[in-house]
Amino acid sequence: MATTALPSIPTADVGHGYTTTGLPHRKVAIWAFIGSECMLFASLISTYLIYKGRSVKGPFPHEPWTDPSTGHVFKPILNIPVTSCSTFVLLMSSLAMVLALAAVENRDKPKVTLGDRILGSSRLWLFMTALLGTTFLGFQAFEFTSFVHEGLSIRTNLFGSSFFTLTGFHGAHVTAGVIWLLTMLAIDFKRGLGPKDALNVDIMALYWHFVDVVWIAIFTLVYLIR
Amino acid sequence: MPFPSRPRRQVAAALAGAAVLAVPLLLAACDVKSYPNSTFLPHSEFGKAIDDLWNLLLQLGTLVFVFVEGLLVYTIIKYRRRPGAAPPRHVHGNTTLEILWTVIPAVILVFIAVPTVKTIFKTEARASADALQVEVYGHQWWWEFRYPQYGVTTANELYLPIGRKVNFALRTQDVLHSFWIPQLGGKRDLISNHTNYLWFTPDSTMSTSAWNGTCNEYCGASHANMRFRVFVVPPADFARWATHQASPAVFPVSTVAPPPPPAPAPAATPARRPAGRTASGAADAQPLVRPVANGALGAQAAADADAPTIVQGGSQAPDGDVFPRDSLRPNNIPTTPTPDGLTFTPGLVGDAGRGQKIYSISACIGCHTIKGNPSSVGITGPNLTHVGSRFTIAAGLYPNDTEHLRLWIKNAREMKDGVLMLTLGLNQIDPQTGIKVTAGGLTDQQIADIAAYLQALK
Amino acid sequence: MATTAAPTFATHTEYAVGEGWRAWLGTTDHKKIGYLYFFTALFFLMFGGAEAEMIRWQLRAPNEHFLSAETYNQIFTMHGTTMIFLVVMPMSAAFFNLLIPLQIGARDVAFPRLNAFSYWVYLLGAIFISVPIFFGAAPNGGWFGYAPLTTMPYSPGLNIDFWALGLQILGISSLAAGFNFITTIINMRAPGMNLMRMPMFTWMAFVVQFLIVLAFPVITIAVVFLVFDRFFGTNFYEIAAGADPLLWQHLFWVFGHPEVYILVLPAFGLVSEVLPTFSRKPLFGYPVMVYSGILIGVLGFGVWAHHMFAVGMGPIADTVFGVTTMLIAIPTGVKIFNWIFTMWGGSIHFTTASMFAIGLVGMFTIGGISGIMHSSPPADLQQTDTYFIVAHFHYVLFGGSLMGLFAGIYYYFPKLTGHMLDERLGQWHFWLNLVGSNLAFFPMHFSGLLGMPRRIYTYDANQGWDGFNMMSTAGAIIVGVASAILAINILISRKRGAPAGNDPWGGGTLEWSIPSPPPVYNFVHIPRVTSRYPMWDLTSPQLTADVPHTRAGDKSVEVDVAGVDAGHAGPRPGGAPAGRSPAPVVAAARIPTAEELGIPIPYTTLKPFFTALGLTVMLSGLPFAHADMPGIEYTLIFAGACTLVGSLFWWVTSPLEPEVAHSEHTH
Repeated sequence: MATTALPSIPTADVGHGYTTTGLPHRKVAIWAFIGSECMLFASLISTYLIYKGRSVKGPFPHEPWTDPSTGHVFKPILNIPVTSCSTFVLLMSSLAMVLALAAVENRDKPKVTLGDRILGSSRLWLFMTALLGTTFLGFQAFEFTSFVHEGLSIRTNLFGSSFFTLTGFHGAHVTAGVIWLLTMLAIDFKRGLGPKDALNVDIMALYWHFVDVVWIAIFTLVYLIR
Repeated sequence: MPFPSRPRRQVAAALAGAAVLAVPLLLAACDVKSYPNSTFLPHSEFGKAIDDLWNLLLQLGTLVFVFVEGLLVYTIIKYRRRPGAAPPRHVHGNTTLEILWTVIPAVILVFIAVPTVKTIFKTEARASADALQVEVYGHQWWWEFRYPQYGVTTANELYLPIGRKVNFALRTQDVLHSFWIPQLGGKRDLISNHTNYLWFTPDSTMSTSAWNGTCNEYCGASHANMRFRVFVVPPADFARWATHQASPAVFPVSTVAPPPPPAPAPAATPARRPAGRTASGAADAQPLVRPVANGALGAQAAADADAPTIVQGGSQAPDGDVFPRDSLRPNNIPTTPTPDGLTFTPGLVGDAGRGQKIYSISACIGCHTIKGNPSSVGITGPNLTHVGSRFTIAAGLYPNDTEHLRLWIKNAREMKDGVLMLTLGLNQIDPQTGIKVTAGGLTDQQIADIAAYLQALK
Repeated sequence: MATTAAPTFATHTEYAVGEGWRAWLGTTDHKKIGYLYFFTALFFLMFGGAEAEMIRWQLRAPNEHFLSAETYNQIFTMHGTTMIFLVVMPMSAAFFNLLIPLQIGARDVAFPRLNAFSYWVYLLGAIFISVPIFFGAAPNGGWFGYAPLTTMPYSPGLNIDFWALGLQILGISSLAAGFNFITTIINMRAPGMNLMRMPMFTWMAFVVQFLIVLAFPVITIAVVFLVFDRFFGTNFYEIAAGADPLLWQHLFWVFGHPEVYILVLPAFGLVSEVLPTFSRKPLFGYPVMVYSGILIGVLGFGVWAHHMFAVGMGPIADTVFGVTTMLIAIPTGVKIFNWIFTMWGGSIHFTTASMFAIGLVGMFTIGGISGIMHSSPPADLQQTDTYFIVAHFHYVLFGGSLMGLFAGIYYYFPKLTGHMLDERLGQWHFWLNLVGSNLAFFPMHFSGLLGMPRRIYTYDANQGWDGFNMMSTAGAIIVGVASAILAINILISRKRGAPAGNDPWGGGTLEWSIPSPPPVYNFVHIPRVTSRYPMWDLTSPQLTADVPHTRAGDKSVEVDVAGVDAGHAGPRPGGAPAGRSPAPVVAAARIPTAEELGIPIPYTTLKPFFTALGLTVMLSGLPFAHADMPGIEYTLIFAGACTLVGSLFWWVTSPLEPEVAHSEHTH
């Protein structure tokens, strides 16, 4: 074949922002990221379940334990009523997140009633989401300190190691989400979030809902199932 | 740009060459003399079950290999670019063909899968209760073998009766190891916090023979040096061996005092590291000689007859001599060269009685057990109760002769990488810490005495 | 291929804005990043190769002490780690970077700065994990790092710290690249390029990205446990606390087996590009090739425990994992046959590239057959952890991955640099490689079946292994010479090779329609794709006339391709009637710049580099905790964290590229 130049390939008249699916890149990427995170939490949860009941010494999640050397009796560690509250708080934060996104998307729509204005306040709902997320973290901090106080640390036994690592990873995700929310809130206060920012809020919401769903799985598998 | 477009007959030639090379190798692989650890010559029902499967896999594999590589070579020769040829037709696929080469491999796999599953369930079934029970404990880097039915604990040398099923319970005291005797069947890992089982029956048609075993799971610095020997003996010999091993250490006493020459072991001048390989021919020619002549022991015992804690055994070692040493093959005899700078004062004669005393107050007792020596109850290291009856030391790394044993006691850490046993010789440098052993170090004479004592523990 | 005309193509090396080191350090151009990946991986190929030579020199004869046990263990660990994480994966990443945007008709990847970040994390992670070998503190637990050997009680040194943290760093690089390429492939295909028109390399890369994003989190968690155990005293692998060492093995191999396909599928993709070009025939059974690639990826997640047949999982688990492993042979076999039938009836041109591709087909077949041999759990009990396995995976990874990557190097080097690699040296490279690797790896089948365990730094004489080991060492030396030839060839040809032109091989895919090396914007106009081999539609329409051009999916991209004759060959852009070769067009002597064309190009930026640097510095503080240097530890962690957060913030808040007036994009 001679090195002659080829006629050019047929061209498509698409603009700079063209995407194949019509979805923005970041939306596709966040889904890929969430898929990856699923495997991350699957590994953590599996480890917890594999090690369930294999600790050679207590304290244990659902059963009392008497330390044979000291005779000290440890209560079952998990406090299900308290965690149910924190679970409810986190679930409510997802609702607030939905409202925040809707508020950002509908920023330009006229708001007539007080209800319209409340529902349409992205600042309020972003703040509520962050607040509820922080409340959840507060519950977790309370839970962790009381567990340590009761004699279960990350070094105590297999249950302690796998429990604190699993819930700690989740807590770290919530913390990252709260920081993200607060950043977004700051932008909202600075210049106001409008429909053009909806994508950014949408991505954040996807992440937040994912973290929430993971907690449902953790709550069910770690706390509720004995 | 000039590209060579010669036909690739070389490919064919290379493949044919490989095949020609492979066949004699394969045949040779069946030669137990040249290939003493071959998996092709199983000597147990477990090994045979695997071998049957392997033969099937090899045959089908060879078939597929010849077919695919033949097709590939034919294709690239037949359809090589020729000058002036018309451009080829664009073919995009052929459904029939593609279904065919999906289905045919699937069918071949069925022929593999069915016997595979059968063999899995056969070989992983529970061993019958009357089997000989052997508990295997992996340590960094040696093997502990216990026979609970006989009350025997030994190290690095496994005795099995011909024709009796043996069930191994495999456990590890530290990291993961893997227990493998290639000619007696497949391997099984030793997993912390697990007990694994493995069983087989040494072939009843077998004569007395010795096999080499290895650790196959990477377990740290001296993974390569975690070997063991397996002696397969007739049931009567096994019973004799087990009875003897179960008894406390025998320290024969004789009043005869012949002159004590150094043991004429073949490895009197062990190969040195820089010299590299030991001539295998030499190892072939010389049978492994047991460390110390009994007479010499008697002399030493007489010289220090007041050894109080020693259980006085019978007249002569009765004993563990169930494995005729001329049955050893060259591959059973370690050829590991000793470290370059590690030497021993020549001409020293060890005294077993004195050695027993020194041993009983030295660091040795912290790690080793000698049944019959009440001060020696350590469990970190190998049980030394009948260490004199063993053919090798240091997990099959060195022959159990005077020279090697003395060097081993003097500086085990020079002899075997990473080993836990301390460097004991006076003024020796511990290669792991770089510290010189001063106070409390053993002199060469003391080491010679300890070695004599250990060798006397038949 | 005779060049008849003097090349009229401008060769230019200017990829990104700016010049000198800053242009490289701050580049966001996927081609330049590919270039960086390529040369870094090439360097580590030589590094890992040197380690292999040292291993083989030690094992050339029994009882050798060229290396101490400790050094040997570090070197074999680093050989595996280097070849997997620092050579084959990044070399594949070099091709992902170079090729994916070009093959799908895009101007860059979806996230150019994230792409740069991936590279810098890889480079810094590679340095982090490799440098300790010069201080005798390299990882020494094997690339598989089985617990509890890697826990504090059994490995108190820093060696395992470097390994665990290095793996985390490298994992971040792979994950970031994975998200990036998934988005790129899903979202940046040129109009008309539906999934069933995607070039096979892009397809395999697509599958690999999914494997990466799904498998790497698992090893991340496994290593997090190890790091927590080592630094914070948790019990995940602590035997005394009742831990199960099999937890590590399961997590490791849930990652480790997909990793095998992460290593080999890019090579499969490259071969699927090379063979059609040099046979002048389209890939045989394209849809089946796609499905088999996907199937290999899916099944790859269901076979991990075949690495663990000796751990005593019980007959049920052994059966399940044995059978699923056998199943994987079917799609793999399909690929082999489809490659052979791509060549069947073709007009095979033997170049170094095509010979390496053919070499892969031959060598990988051997690895596949031995793979089937240990898919049978009982048979595997005689094979696992012996040299038979070493032989198997070297046929798969050397004969498979590396041969495929070599084919890719010879095939795409002209596109990357604008210069041809020297074919004479290439021939030497190929033949020495073929002979050497077979001489090195084939005897290992025998030494393994004759009882030689893996990972031993020395062995006794008289075991029947001496001859095979001698052969393997001789083969390894030959492979070493071959690799040196490759390196020389690349270094010489990079600047001095014959000019390549747009399309030196007559390839069929989009990357051959643009200059070599491609201009920073790749395509002056985004192409419109109506077939799998758009270039062949132009160069030889008479041959592609009866090609079934898949039309499904054209609607979904909302681009009008209806004007194209449905029953006929590709579009006729120049108005050239079917059956007649299109009129040659003399190429422009000068390639217009992006500015002239009004194409926005991402800014050159150091933010990804500093983010990567901050991350690595932060993690490199941790080992000092075990070296009893808390001052240095906290300083590094603090400085790293500040750099990380600062540059990340700076990155996120700064625009990617100049604002475009006519931009329609919403993000």
